[in-house]
Amino acid sequence: MWIRLGVMAFAGGLGAALANRGIVIFHDGLRPAVTELIEGRMPRSQLAPIAFSTCFGLILVFGIPFTLASTVILSHALWLGTDIIGTWLPGPFEKNGAWKSRLGLLGSIALGALYGTMLVLGLQGFILLNDRLPVNIHLSIGEIARPVIFTLAAYPALTVAYQYGLKHGLVAFLLTLIIRQLASKLGLAHPDTWALLTGLALLMSHAIQEGRREPAPKDSFLIPLEQLKRIRSHLPWIVVLGATYALASNLAVLMEGPQSLLALAHGDRLAAIHFTIARAISFLPLRTMSALTTGVFLMDGLGFAPTLGLVAPNAAIAALAGGIVITVEAISLVWIAGFFSRYPCYLKVVNNIRTAMTKLLEVASLVGGMVAANQMAPGLGFFAVAGLYLLNETAGSPVMRSAVGPVAVILVGITLNILAFLHLM
Amino acid sequence: MIKINVSGLAAREIANKVSEVAGDDVAVHIVTDIAGAKEVAQGEADYYFGACATGGGGALSMAIAILGYGACFTVSTAGKLPREDEIQRAVANGVKAFGFTSDHVDSAVPLIMKAILDARSSKG
Repeated sequence: MWIRLGVMAFAGGLGAALANRGIVIFHDGLRPAVTELIEGRMPRSQLAPIAFSTCFGLILVFGIPFTLASTVILSHALWLGTDIIGTWLPGPFEKNGAWKSRLGLLGSIALGALYGTMLVLGLQGFILLNDRLPVNIHLSIGEIARPVIFTLAAYPALTVAYQYGLKHGLVAFLLTLIIRQLASKLGLAHPDTWALLTGLALLMSHAIQEGRREPAPKDSFLIPLEQLKRIRSHLPWIVVLGATYALASNLAVLMEGPQSLLALAHGDRLAAIHFTIARAISFLPLRTMSALTTGVFLMDGLGFAPTLGLVAPNAAIAALAGGIVITVEAISLVWIAGFFSRYPCYLKVVNNIRTAMTKLLEVASLVGGMVAANQMAPGLGFFAVAGLYLLNETAGSPVMRSAVGPVAVILVGITLNILAFLHLM
Repeated sequence: MIKINVSGLAAREIANKVSEVAGDDVAVHIVTDIAGAKEVAQGEADYYFGACATGGGGALSMAIAILGYGACFTVSTAGKLPREDEIQRAVANGVKAFGFTSDHVDSAVPLIMKAILDARSSKG
């Protein structure tokens, strides 16, 4: 508990300080606005409300529900908060004197650390409270994880379908299914991993064929050298960030995405590792270009620090590996950007992987949410979650589709406890 | 004829929605985000639409890189629904690239298309 608190306080303080100095930002949409601030085209008074409006809603409808549902903190809950803290406090880019900037830095560290601590304590409080309630939400909420974990192997086949048509997609899907069944029949460990690898091999063979046929684009992307230099000059801080992130992942305190978070909370570390890799790959060109064009680095780097945190056998190795991998990521930005501008078909592949993973999460977390709610309240659970999902649609989807499952389960749980308290159950 | 480039998460849904709303007044192309924004920068296309899971993030980062921050507008994010007045103002201010979450395709696209078509017809 104390180690968790310490790591999260440190991560919070570090994240807010880096956001305050304009060195690293988590939210992809906020990063370019921070560049506007750094280069003097936007005052901080204008940036702060943008930061709040882009980040706060996402914490509320995405970061917090998945955190409460899994008892592991979703990285969005932490880093979006530190984005807000760091951008609100005065920094080095305004003409308000060095002392005010220094005060802003200290304030960022203090508030960020406080925020990280509050997240851990809040989550712990929620768990303790739950144990004393008539209906314990956590006993059922693990059900959300199961469909999410087992849909992992479907994303390569879906990507094939999106990019190369339904026929190829269907073939890839059936082959994935057959290999999974064979592996399971032959008693191999991790049949889902075999299925996933089959799907990925098929996707790669399609992509390589398309890559060979595809003519190279005439104009390549011009690397903004100034921005690259800015990122490289901050490398020592980026190393500390990568080490912290990998450490927190290794301790299972913090996780990068909803899929890996649910897998980790469910005790399936291998699936969590697969998810971190898939998500990192699916965001590769986007994150690379975002960093290169803004000169502001990414809080989760290119996404492989959490992977290594999960793979590492202990905390010390996790921190070391995290520091190394984020350095490699920062150094290879130009190379990666070059690769994707030379081969647009791979750019399409990773974008389609992102679509496939998002859609799968939407389906799986809804189904999981229905099953979880129904375990708490047979009959009522199915009714309530399906109804809430469609009500959310009718309202124009204020809650993200992928988060409706967990949000609905938590709401159902709260309602059931109120009913139990009123002796209506 | 208005040329619109579409990219990102659920690009096909966005393209279908654009055609559904605007019919023959527009030509929609599904492209990669880099190519899509570049064509707008070179004047070969008029607008760029992109979506991502959270809005603002992945949807526009390439467009912002290529077109500049001022030419891009985040229509909706998770927890923030699209608003007609904001979109109208953005179009009037010359915004070329619009980003929203993939959840809000059905609500955002009609509002953006309406703003664009209104602006065209008032210009004459």
